[in-house]
Amino acid sequence: MSKYSLIIDDELCWGCRTCEVACKQEYEHKIKFIHVQEDGPRAVGNEFIYFHRPTVCRHCDEPPCEGACPESAISKRDDGIVVLDYDTCSGCRNCIDACPYDSVGFDEEKQIALKCNLCHHRVDRGLIPACADNVCLAHCIYFGDPASIHEQIERKRRKRQTK
Amino acid sequence: MSEFTYSNWAREMEVYGYDSMVKSHCRMCHGGCGVLVYVKDGKVKKIAGDPDCPINHGTLCTKGLASTELVYHPDRLTHPVRRIGPKGSGKWERITWDEALDTIAERMLRYRDLHGAESVVLGYGTGRENEAVIYRFANLFGSPNVLTAGHFCYGPRIATSIITCGSNPIVDYENHPKCIMVWGNNVVISNPDCYKGEPFSLALDEGAKLIVVDPRLTRAAARANVWLQLRPGTDAALALGMCNVIVNEELYDKDFVENFVHGWEPFVQRVNEYPLERVEEITWVPRDKIREAARLYATIKPAAIQWGVAIEQQINCADNDRVLMLLMGITGNIDRMGGQVLFRPPNIRNVGQFGAHGMLPREQRDKRLGGDMFRLASRFSIINPKCVWDAILEEKPYPVKMLFFISSNPVMTRDNAKEVYRALEKADFMAVADFFLTPTAELADIVLPAATWLEMDYIADFWKRHGYILPRRKVIQVGECRSDHEMLNDLAHRVGMGEHWWDDFEKALDWILEPAKLKWRDFKEMDFLRGEVAYEKYREEGFSTPTRKFELYSTVLEKMGYDPLPQYRETPESPYSAPEVYKEYPYILITGKRLPGFFHTENRQAPSLRELHRDPIVEIHPDTAGREGIKQGDWVVIESRRGRIRHRAMLFAGLDPRIVAAQHAWWFPEKKDPGHGWAESNVNILTDNSYETCDPAMGASSVRTLLCKIYPEKT
Repeated sequence: MSKYSLIIDDELCWGCRTCEVACKQEYEHKIKFIHVQEDGPRAVGNEFIYFHRPTVCRHCDEPPCEGACPESAISKRDDGIVVLDYDTCSGCRNCIDACPYDSVGFDEEKQIALKCNLCHHRVDRGLIPACADNVCLAHCIYFGDPASIHEQIERKRRKRQTK
Repeated sequence: MSEFTYSNWAREMEVYGYDSMVKSHCRMCHGGCGVLVYVKDGKVKKIAGDPDCPINHGTLCTKGLASTELVYHPDRLTHPVRRIGPKGSGKWERITWDEALDTIAERMLRYRDLHGAESVVLGYGTGRENEAVIYRFANLFGSPNVLTAGHFCYGPRIATSIITCGSNPIVDYENHPKCIMVWGNNVVISNPDCYKGEPFSLALDEGAKLIVVDPRLTRAAARANVWLQLRPGTDAALALGMCNVIVNEELYDKDFVENFVHGWEPFVQRVNEYPLERVEEITWVPRDKIREAARLYATIKPAAIQWGVAIEQQINCADNDRVLMLLMGITGNIDRMGGQVLFRPPNIRNVGQFGAHGMLPREQRDKRLGGDMFRLASRFSIINPKCVWDAILEEKPYPVKMLFFISSNPVMTRDNAKEVYRALEKADFMAVADFFLTPTAELADIVLPAATWLEMDYIADFWKRHGYILPRRKVIQVGECRSDHEMLNDLAHRVGMGEHWWDDFEKALDWILEPAKLKWRDFKEMDFLRGEVAYEKYREEGFSTPTRKFELYSTVLEKMGYDPLPQYRETPESPYSAPEVYKEYPYILITGKRLPGFFHTENRQAPSLRELHRDPIVEIHPDTAGREGIKQGDWVVIESRRGRIRHRAMLFAGLDPRIVAAQHAWWFPEKKDPGHGWAESNVNILTDNSYETCDPAMGASSVRTLLCKIYPEKT
């Protein structure tokens, strides 16, 4: 069974936020599951720490949100994708509190939790998740097998001459 | 991952049941990116990048992806309207295209009879690929006055590069520069003119070193090997200081300097006037850093300068462009593979020919507003905006009676907005073509509904210098919207210029493409057409300048009565040039940081883009904020000698505490009164446009650097 991951190399992210709008377009401009957050700038000696960090569900190996859900609406599939079933969600918000990455949102209108399901409706039909489908101009959003992604990220990092 | 491929359009069609996919070419900014447009039931449902496009390789930006929110916006103007109340009353009635164009034509002819063709001014904003057709119309009508952003945006790069080396040197990202110096630009956010952030990112992935010149920290500056955090407006001094290092340490390209430049000795003399001690004092950049950057840039080959508009919106506009070009030249990076290339366009009729510049009678050309003052600009058919406002308000040197703005919102984007507003209020007749009733359009007599890029056929990137043209294909029709090209083609017939125009605009595209032996119907089946790629052409041909050399010393500027060598002038309103003002306005205000999602005044009504930036933001150093009693998120007043506006404060440590950074072009389409909050947060309420503060050659105003005070808004 293939394992699917969405992995983002923060070092390369420019903060252009295209992934946010790509996600939103996929969900008919109504909602988005990925948000780019600014980290810094903080002066450290003569240098600045300044990053843009896309925040999205990590599809954890042992998802705390899964255990926190009293309705068993959240489950990790064999391929690694953690899916929140909106039909089963009761809106108790336990998953929001449980997520260490602040990646679960809430739909006030429907009174249910919302999170990135890794576009499983696309993945199951052979399409790459919207944010990872070659939209990023820094090519920093990867989808696929986690081991090979980490290898690619490391290879690119070795080649780079910038900080 | 073999089962997954990027941009799998066939699978996309199948899964979502789209009816068709049309390849086209986005123009949510200046254009540039190839796109796949998915359509269902006659409506655009999804936009994605075209992986086969050589410009963007399938990637896109926020604006392109959110195009449908603009196109199908409920507030969009989809039929012509005529104002039925006083200016600014917001009272409009629907009229037909025939009524609208006949009225405009009748007015144009009447003013030409009574006051001369020069009393009719056509205008556009930033480049929206309608420049050539607008110039064609004005030139054939006989008006030398086309009001653009060209005095302080891109026009100066074209003018100065043509007089220095024959064309605009474009970074050859395809062949991966090994050192990139980003100067006054945030290419990954703005994706400007000939450039996209994607090839820049790839060059860094391939191991390029990075130098960033910017008063404000960007992510690129944080990643840079050297970040030169200069005092705003001192770019020319910094670049001359770098030239000084390169000359005196003999890091220049000796073969190029010996054989292909004009004016080496006077150039050396000039750069010797800028020793690093002096440059450090002017720029606030430590001399060691300047030296380090100069050495990096001069010794790594090939190297490139990714320049941006920030260097042009200053009193040193033309000299900033020139001195950066001289850096490219003396280091031997001009027309070198992986450096900056004078790309050849495909063999088609170019924008100059299509723009019919040769058909404007000489006596009309001599009447160009500001032609005696801003002589380099005038040579390139560019005028300074204040010249137009003065001609309306004071009728000097002659009256301007009619304005026709096409995709332009000068109330928001031109310096000294209050004067702009007064001039537009006074104009005898004004027509506007736009997507929405903007603060500028609200002052018009007639507003025409303009087509977006999804609603037109055109040769995309026609005006650019990267050597490609690409087909923009019409996908949909919205209401009665028409492209600027079709609209002007129609109007041209109504003012009696039909002999120089076409039955329909497709024939104009055929005429442009004719030298390539193509018709539009052939070209639209192609992905792109590229000019022949050749490097170091100067070895055979020389440069296209009067001396056939790369002109360090500009013989053209000399003839026009300007300093033939670049120099540094102090910004008109700075702590040093205006110490008395500085006492009352103790911060340097910089403006116009580019934001993902917005394109100048556009897109504030598109929900997915507006949610990225709810309010106008001024960035302020935490120490400064503390001193002024300002907290994160407070509404604050920014005040200059010319007025005051409100922004929300964001504490940002990536700025010198003496500098604050405001945003530009903010209006509020959600405010339904006809002003749409045009004066609330409009940074051009603060900027100056007096002639003496403008670049003497191009007429560029110093909108990027002025003095301000900042304090919390009283609640």
